[in-house]
Amino acid sequence: MGDIVVLLKPALNPEMIRGTPEGSVDFDYMPLKLSDIDRNAVEEAVRIRDQYLKGSKIYSISVATWGPVAKRDKDIKMAVQEGLAKGVDEAYIVEDDLITPGDQVTTASAIVAVLRKFNIKPDIILAGEATIDGFSGQVAGRVAAKLDLPYVSFARKIDIKGNTLVAERDVEDYVEVVEAPLPAVVSVTREINSPRPPTLIQIRMASRKPQHVVKLSDLSDVVTPKKKLSAARVLAVKRKQVMIEGKTLEETADKLIDALVSEGVIKA
Amino acid sequence: MASSLVVGGSEDDIAEALTIARQLGSVHIVAYGNVNAASLAEYGHIVYHIAQDDPESIFKAVKEIYDQVKPSLVVALTSKNLKDALSRLAGLYDLPMATEVFNVKLSGDQVSYTRGFLSGRALEDDVVPLPAVLLLAARKTPKAQKSQSKGDVKELTVTPSIKVVERRPKERGGVNIEAAEIIVSVGRGFRSKDDLKLAFDLAEVLNAQIGCSRPVAADLKWLSEDHWVGLSGHKVAPKLYMAIGISGAPQHLAGITDAKLVVAINNDKSAPIFKNCDYGVVADLYQFVPVLTKRLRERLHK
Ligand SMILES: Cc1cc2nc3c(=O)[nH]c(=O)nc-3n(C[C@H](O)[C@H](O)[C@H](O)COP(=O)(O)OP(=O)(O)OC[C@H]3O[C@@H](n4cnc5c(N)ncnc54)[C@H](O)[C@@H]3O)c2cc1C
Repeated sequence: MGDIVVLLKPALNPEMIRGTPEGSVDFDYMPLKLSDIDRNAVEEAVRIRDQYLKGSKIYSISVATWGPVAKRDKDIKMAVQEGLAKGVDEAYIVEDDLITPGDQVTTASAIVAVLRKFNIKPDIILAGEATIDGFSGQVAGRVAAKLDLPYVSFARKIDIKGNTLVAERDVEDYVEVVEAPLPAVVSVTREINSPRPPTLIQIRMASRKPQHVVKLSDLSDVVTPKKKLSAARVLAVKRKQVMIEGKTLEETADKLIDALVSEGVIKA
Repeated sequence: MASSLVVGGSEDDIAEALTIARQLGSVHIVAYGNVNAASLAEYGHIVYHIAQDDPESIFKAVKEIYDQVKPSLVVALTSKNLKDALSRLAGLYDLPMATEVFNVKLSGDQVSYTRGFLSGRALEDDVVPLPAVLLLAARKTPKAQKSQSKGDVKELTVTPSIKVVERRPKERGGVNIEAAEIIVSVGRGFRSKDDLKLAFDLAEVLNAQIGCSRPVAADLKWLSEDHWVGLSGHKVAPKLYMAIGISGAPQHLAGITDAKLVVAINNDKSAPIFKNCDYGVVADLYQFVPVLTKRLRERLHK
């Protein structure tokens, strides 16, 4: 029986955004965390194993795209550990300053290189529909093409019938039910499940599961980044932040209405 | 000579992508699905058409033409099916790819662009070498004009390995939230679907459309997805946006950066929305919204 692979990205946490005095993103300050939708992907991996592929192993693969590795190592391990606590059996982490800051070309080629090097032959590869930092949703499709596997994107429901994956794809205007032969690559939306937080025992067990750190020199055919990030600036939307208070709710309402009238957005 | 490939499923989308593509010499168009290929031929370029519109078929058709033409740029408008189809092309040839880009500038053998980053809280400016795949942000590029000469239309056929079994249209709430002037938007602060009536009453007085945060449409399904505002929903630009019981997560804020005025009503004075609004009221929406509606009705219609 084949195994399950889930792609987990240690992503920059947008809630912790901070700018430099010049308005650039202060990357050094921003911590990494497991990208939110990847949590749904792990949850789905565990469900699929328990329901359809009993006895198969769940591997996770993470490629560190934000460096320097020495500084980010703790955050990266924390994100990976979360996957292990939720049910991943063994984790692979590609961590190398030669590929940071990374891009999607690098990430996808490194993922494929890990699969080849460690001879992992999954029945299904799961990923989140997009990551919370880049939000471009292209790594899973790249991996599928490189492995010449069918790709099902934006799945919000997955069933497996024998050797066939049946999924509901969430497209803008419609929902599409598709059937793909396994092995396949699937990206999932947040709506596919509600991730359960790991139990204390699971968290404790996670530290004993294998984590393999892989360097660029261990792999072949990894393409180094093509994208040059020339600048990233914090989007400063200046809002007035005026708090409105009255002695009664009526007074508060009237003050708010007065403000809206003087702004010219309503006429009273 | 350099050339480019435009991909799209509607004439409007293709006309926007053509504006960028025409800067690079000869253009080839791959059009899919239910699009009028004869009308597309009036832009003066070769049009390859496939009848299917599933991502795998689009990928296969684009790959076939890509291999023939070897273009410097593949350009389309951002959509879920094109993210799927073109990420495969990008993966196959290790091409750089970016989605929802604007400010596209071609120079020599590279292209630069701007796009949202960090769930819409920042903008990134990137430079990538050609060949590259760019998915444009909608409605930020003017449409290209038709030309005097007419291009040829060629039909393509491909066989995908993924079978489309069924397609169900999504429920529509009949709103076009992107064009709304005033939006009353609801979040998880509402405890039940019935309670949304408070917001509908307010919206009626203000002549507003109803918007919502992701969980209200996606998880709870209290409203159809055309109401959903944010990074993965609709980007809105009203003159007044009222966020009621919405915490102000970055992914929600990403949808309202173009709103002229933002009002927040929330009972938690430390909710992030208060740092991202013009006027804020700390109050229980169940108490405050009915009072606001009543006072507005009295003052607007007396
Ligand atoms: C990749 C990604 C994409 C996403 N895309 C989107 C998107 O497009 N749009 C979007 O909205 N979200 C999106 N999200 C989700 C987003 O992160 C938040 O989870 C979501 O916006 C929260 O919705 P909310 O504010 O309604 O709910 P909550 O965060 O639960 O906030 C509810 C608020 O209501 C307040 N409240 C509770 N009771 C009352 C009361 N009685 N009176 C007044 N106030 C009350 C609370 O104080 C709280 O602030 C995305 C997330 C990810 C990871």
